[in-house]
Formats: sequence, C-alpha cells, structure tokens
Amino acid sequence: MHDQPLLDVSNLTVNLLTAKSAVCPVDGVSYSVRQGECLAIVGESGSGKTVMNFAPLGLMPTGVTTMLSGSVKLEGRELIGLPETEIQKLRGKSVGFIFQDPMSALNPVRRIGRQIAEMAELHLNLTPRAAEARALELVKLVGISDPAARLRQYPHELSGGLRQRIVIAIALAGEPKLLIADEPTTALDVTVQAQILRLLKDVQRRLNMAMVLITHDMGVVAGAADNIVVMYAARAAECGPVDKVLVSPRHPYTRGLINAIPRREDPIGSEFRGLPGIPPTLGAPIRGCALAPRCELAVPACGNSRPPLVRSDDSAVLVACPVVNQGKAAA
Amino acid sequence: MIHFISKRLKHSLILLFMASVVCFTLVVSAPGNVAVLIAELRGAVATPGYVEQVEEEIGLNKPLLMRYVDWLGDAVRGDFGISYRTGQDVSADLANRMLVTGTLIAGSAVIATLISLALGFLGAFWPYKLPDRVSRGLALLGASTPTFFVGALMIYAFSVTFQLLPSFGFAGPKSWILPWLTIAVLPAAVLSRVVRVGLEEAMTSPFVLTAKSKGLGRTAILFREALPNITPIFVNALGTQVGLMTATAIIVEPLFAWQGVGDYFLAGVRFRDFMVVQACLLIFLTFFIVVNLVVDLAVLMTDPRIRRQWS
Repeated sequence: MHDQPLLDVSNLTVNLLTAKSAVCPVDGVSYSVRQGECLAIVGESGSGKTVMNFAPLGLMPTGVTTMLSGSVKLEGRELIGLPETEIQKLRGKSVGFIFQDPMSALNPVRRIGRQIAEMAELHLNLTPRAAEARALELVKLVGISDPAARLRQYPHELSGGLRQRIVIAIALAGEPKLLIADEPTTALDVTVQAQILRLLKDVQRRLNMAMVLITHDMGVVAGAADNIVVMYAARAAECGPVDKVLVSPRHPYTRGLINAIPRREDPIGSEFRGLPGIPPTLGAPIRGCALAPRCELAVPACGNSRPPLVRSDDSAVLVACPVVNQGKAAA
Repeated sequence: MIHFISKRLKHSLILLFMASVVCFTLVVSAPGNVAVLIAELRGAVATPGYVEQVEEEIGLNKPLLMRYVDWLGDAVRGDFGISYRTGQDVSADLANRMLVTGTLIAGSAVIATLISLALGFLGAFWPYKLPDRVSRGLALLGASTPTFFVGALMIYAFSVTFQLLPSFGFAGPKSWILPWLTIAVLPAAVLSRVVRVGLEEAMTSPFVLTAKSKGLGRTAILFREALPNITPIFVNALGTQVGLMTATAIIVEPLFAWQGVGDYFLAGVRFRDFMVVQACLLIFLTFFIVVNLVVDLAVLMTDPRIRRQWS
C-alpha cells in the first residue's frame, strides 16, 4: 500500500471551453504524490498549475466546460469519468483545499466556528455539538490563540494570517489524506508567510498527509517540498527531487527561474534577471518546444516536435529538453 | 445599537418637520378655494360674502404662518383637526383607515417576499435554463404591467370568470387576497431580480469555491453560503418596495372599495381638504421613515461587518 502513490496523475490533459474560446491549460502532464510526501508544482501565472489540480476534482468556475483526458488516480480510484456527485463526496473528505487569498476564501457573514464545524458534520458524521468541539480542536491545532473566542468571530475580525490558519483548519476538518494548497502564502505578509508555511509543513508531517503545494516561490519549494514539477506553458519542463532540481537545474526554463531569484550580492539598482520574451498563449497548439523562442540553447530542431520528458543523466530527474539531454550524454 | 437608533430618530424628526413644511406649502399653493366647495356642499350659493364667512369659520383668513403653527401644534398632540368636507375628526377617521392600509401593505409585503424568493431561487438554481427564463419573463411582465391594470385583470379572472373571490370590500381574509396580490406583483417582480442577481453574484465569490471544496452540494451552498450574503441587500430593497406600496395603495384601495388611508388621501385631494391631505402625507412619511429605520436595523442584524461599526 505504501508503495502505491496516493495521487497518481498520468498524461493529464485539460481542455477548457468557454462560450468564446477554447484553451488547453494542461497538456499531457504526469506526476505522483505518496503518503507523507510533499510535491511542489512551480510555474509562472497561467502555466496551468492550478487548473491541473482543481479540474479533476470538479473545482472549476461555472460557465466553463472542462474536458479531461489521461488518468488521475486517487488512492487507486480513477477520477476521470467519475460523476460529479461522486467527486463531490471526495472533496473535503479525501482532499482538503487551501486557497490563495484567505481574505475572500471565507464567507463574510458566517461565524468561523460554523464554517469549520460544518465540515466535521458533513464528513465525520458528527452531531453539531461534537462538531463544535472538533472545530475547537482544529483551531488549537493550527496554532490560534484564544480559540474559543475565535470560533464566535467573523472573518473580517481576523488578520490575513489568522484567516489562512482558519482556511487550513477547514481543510483539515474532514481528515483528508491529501492536501492541495494553491499558493497558500502568496497573499500574505512576508513575515506571516514563513509561519504559515511552517504550520502547513508541520501538520502535513504530523497527520502524515500527502501535500501538493502550488507556488511560484522557490523559497517555499526549498523549505517544504520533497519533489518538484516545473511547469511551463501547460507542460512539465522538469521534475525530480527538490534537492537535485534546485541545486543543479537542467532544463533551461528551470535554470532561468532559479537564476531570476534576486541575490544578496546583486548591486543595488541592478535589473532583475528575467527570461527574455513572453510565454505563449494557450489558445493555439504549440508544435515544438514551447520555450524555444525564449531559449538560449534552442536549435532549429526544437521547433519541430514536442520534446518528451525523459530521464536525464541523473535517473531521478526527468527533463523535457533534447538539447540538454544529448549534451549531458555526450559529455 | 442604542446610539444608532437615537441618532436615526433625531434625523427622522428633522426630516418629518421639513416634510410637513413642504406638504403645507404645496397644499396651500394648490389652485382652488376650499371655502367655495364647502359653501356649495352646504347647498348655499357661494356669494363672496358667504365664502368669506366660511373662510373665517375654518380659519383660512389667518396668516399662513399662524395656520401652520396652529396645525403643527395640534398634530404633534395627535390631533389632525376636523375634515373640511365631512366635519369629522381626522384622527378618528385615520385610526380606522390605518388598520385597513396596514393589512393591505403587511400582507402584500409577505406575498412579495415569498414570490420573489421563490422566483429568484428558481433562476439561480438553474441559471440560463428554462426555469431562469420563465422567472425572468415573469419579472419583466410583472414589472411592466401597471398596477391598476393588474387589479382589473385580477377582478376579471378571479371574481368575474371563476367567481372564487370577492371583487371588493374589506371583510375577512378572502376579500384581502386580490388586493394583496395586486399590490404584490410589482415589488415581487423587482425583488425577484434582486434575489436572482444577488445569488448569482454571491455564487461566483471565492468563498463559494471554498464551500465547493468542502464537499457541499449546490443546494446547501445556495442556502447556507449565498443566502446569508444577499439578506442585507434584499432587506434594503424590500424596505424601498414596502415604502412605495403606500403610493400603490392610493390606486388599489379605491379599486377594491377599501376605505384605507390611500382612499382617504385621494378624497382629500379632490376636495382640497387640507386637513386630510396633510394628515395622510404625514402618516405616509412617518411610515416611510419607520420602514427605513427598521430596514437599517435589520441590515445591522444580518451583516456582521456593519454591525461592528455601531456596537
């Protein structure tokens, strides 16, 4: 059982159809997370990292038709093709979600205690009274002082960091096995970010959950994750253990990302080291490597066919760049 | 809370005073002379001498300011004077008629609330599907049909054709239904859109995504998450509509031969019966102000974010 990944995504493709347009924000991506593991998914805005995790669980805005192909297995159960009523039962119960902006993720006119307790009522079949007790426990677990008073308060009475702790408490209330955290620290003050990240990491270890951490903050990745998937333009560019990928990035995009982090020795007033160019739009199909127009290593062949994600010189790391893979093999 | 109410009451008193001045000015500057009408009513020939005699009798020869002060002094003690037309005590007449109009507005408010919530939820539950289109169509129809025409249709359908309900009179619940429905149509139509649009907006809020991620179903999200969020705007809109019902009452009461404040007001205007008109206007205004006060308090109760500013 322990060998089987809790979440196993293979060759997932997501197509979104709105009244006006069709886009493909996720194009054949594979990854997996085991119990007790934390996987970071990194990429710039619009690279598909959120959709990839939300769409298979039915968390898409209304008015958008979502078409999924490939395979998403949660505890060995195939999610693609499962009716919405079945997926609804998994949300909150098997998978807990943490959102980017705690300011808007909570209902402004309902007491915090109710918003936590209803999860326990729904998924653990507790009586309202027992659910209140469970809510109190959870609020203590996420490290909030004066927990009993907090439960009677409304979201607007709490700070951003406290609200994010409440969102985490809600996600934990159904005792899920998998936690999906969508940029959980992005909307918070820098000083609070570290606390929330430490808390997330701590509860994930203590409750032995699997966690998917969606972020674009390399500091968050280094501090919390075991494995990493780097996304670029709907596809995975590189994936592998965090210590290997961050220390010696192979794919030109990963290198660009890590190189873009400002360093202490940068002279004051120097410019950021961004990648030149802009990411492709997801409306039109991309024939070759999506990064080719911005890539310093690009050769004419890069525009011909999509580079497969293959084992690099380090067998734990997969890289979707033939130039890098060939170069390493030759050296 | 006490602070809030006392502040609002102070504002209301100032508003009432100003409104009474405006009413007075409008009524005295209206063309025509009530003394002539009274003289004719008494069967006398309205010779200038007799008209002058009547004017002196009812105090029309006094300076305007004096008339106003006299009237206001009595009014604050609950005495609205004597009707020029009937010679009856206006306060006593009003007491009865307020009961009638109160029944009319209270019933209509309840009906409008129920219909609008039902229609609004129907639309929000199946957005852009058939139920939503039906709900939208009914709202458009209801909002664009004049009330007097609605009343006539109601009478034609339920009293004349099916003979289910009485077409006039104020005699028990059965006779109340048609006037209630007649007045409720317009507010129900307007409010159903408030509910529908409010719910749709609430349903696209990020906290609904959270609710969905909790594993709540659509019905639970609509009632538990979205409904509490639209309560303040709904109560606000309902308050405005209930206030406006006083105006519709003026049309509907004569239609169903109800002797309410609206009917009284209309009769007063026709006869330039200053005492009646002024009293009715003041009653309407007080009602409007009280409704608004109640609405503000209700919003205070339903929205914790506003409640905090005042507690």
